Amino acid sequence: MTVAQSAEALSVQGISKVFGRPGKPTVEALRDINLSIREGEFVSIVGASGSGKSTLLRIIDGLLPASAGVIRVSGTTVTSPGADRAMVFQQDALLPWKTVIENVAYGLVIGGTPKRDAHAVAQRFIDMAGLKGFELHYPHQLSGGMRQRVNVARALAVNPKILLLDEPFAALDAQTREIMQAELLNIWQKSGTTVLLITHQIDEAVFLSDRVIVFSARPGTVRQEIPIPLPRPRSLEVKRQEAFGALVDRIWHLIEHEVRSAVADNRA
Amino acid sequence: MTPLRQFYEFIEGRSRAAGALRMLISVAFVLLVWEFLATMVVTNKLLLVPPMDVFQALAKEGVEGTLWRNAMATIGAVGAAFPISVALGIAMGLALASSRFLALTAGPMLTALNSVPLVALAPLFIAWLGLGFASKFVIVTIFSIFPILVMTETGLKATDKILVEAARSFNASRWQIFTTVTLPFALPFIVSGIRVAWARALVAIIIAEFFGSFAGFGFAILAAGQSFDTATLLAYVILLGALGLVGSIFFEWLERRLAPWRQE
Repeated sequence: MTVAQSAEALSVQGISKVFGRPGKPTVEALRDINLSIREGEFVSIVGASGSGKSTLLRIIDGLLPASAGVIRVSGTTVTSPGADRAMVFQQDALLPWKTVIENVAYGLVIGGTPKRDAHAVAQRFIDMAGLKGFELHYPHQLSGGMRQRVNVARALAVNPKILLLDEPFAALDAQTREIMQAELLNIWQKSGTTVLLITHQIDEAVFLSDRVIVFSARPGTVRQEIPIPLPRPRSLEVKRQEAFGALVDRIWHLIEHEVRSAVADNRA
Repeated sequence: MTPLRQFYEFIEGRSRAAGALRMLISVAFVLLVWEFLATMVVTNKLLLVPPMDVFQALAKEGVEGTLWRNAMATIGAVGAAFPISVALGIAMGLALASSRFLALTAGPMLTALNSVPLVALAPLFIAWLGLGFASKFVIVTIFSIFPILVMTETGLKATDKILVEAARSFNASRWQIFTTVTLPFALPFIVSGIRVAWARALVAIIIAEFFGSFAGFGFAILAAGQSFDTATLLAYVILLGALGLVGSIFFEWLERRLAPWRQE
């Protein structure tokens, strides 16, 4: 491995987050989170709902201020959104009155790139995301899976150092999700971007990642980091291997207790 | 498929021809019922006249020139006041949506003012501003401003949080968020406010002209009513209806243009 490849893309140091307004009981969402992600690495965070994983992603993206701690992207401390990070949201976050190509170019245009250049770049990522021929369609004319591809293309178009994915496939049906996972791997291998993915789907995390970080709930803390030594490139076939199943089982056992208590809480 | 069945399918379709035919059928039906009522049921011409008499009265007004004088007065006043109330309504809606303080202090006041039947204030405006253009202008403006104001505020506040967050994630400034997310989202709401306001503006102009003026559709209707000229009265009512319909169709079309994704 060369030096450039092992450089640190993202460093999360001592991040804590407490929600609360004066006079109301506070909620501790995150406690002393420490993470480090190398350039080009694909890392996932899994955890029961309520483990603050989405909160962490929003803090990294700069949408939320942390209560304590530091976020560094390639060594530079960040506190607000910037072009070095791009986020793909769980819900559909496309502008319904813009075409696919306008949506993909949106981040670039906001950043001051002239429209013509932005569209040229957008076209490249539309092709990469397998959306060729749909440039002039509007989001409501696309399927859920295609819309999420547009979201990924839009995030990649700004050429971020880190791609942040917040349960990007949670709203899709199981079959579409499988296809999208394989396509995401494909796109990631082509673009070489560093990826941090939040998911509650353990098999998704294992299938995609170099490393899975398991969160515990209330407050969210890093429980364990599990390297995924499955060889790349991976195809969906990997999911039928014994090693894959063993990794999924191991992670499930780490969070099972919390998932059960979260379910119980929801019933109460 | 029987011809009748085929005809049904066509008329329920989305084509422009089907729409025109639907309109034609309903107009023909109304004229037929009207003709029947005026010739068979209410034969007293002081109360109701058949459609043909109304069109003759309309033609007579046109030839004599009074139609154009009245149209100039009415359309002139609405044409001047309506754009102003659109601009003011949007501006006030923007202010209310962007300032919590303003929404909390001025909001209830505006709601109260909106619930007052503004017709009751019309004589006061005429006393202040005299008969003619000025009082018409103010009454139309005040009447039609509320739906625009309310819908602007609603539209701006209804913006999808996730869209705003995505824009922020791209480091968009507050101004960029406003121009690329919030405003486009609110636009169809604003247009539907304008559509409602247009109908109110036509009510307002007639009220203003009833209370005091020397020309205009309202003036002509009042004058025709007082001289029991039912045909002329109905002629102007039909003109007003047409004016309302044209505005309504235009703004509906604009709403669809601005928000095609809402159709599905």
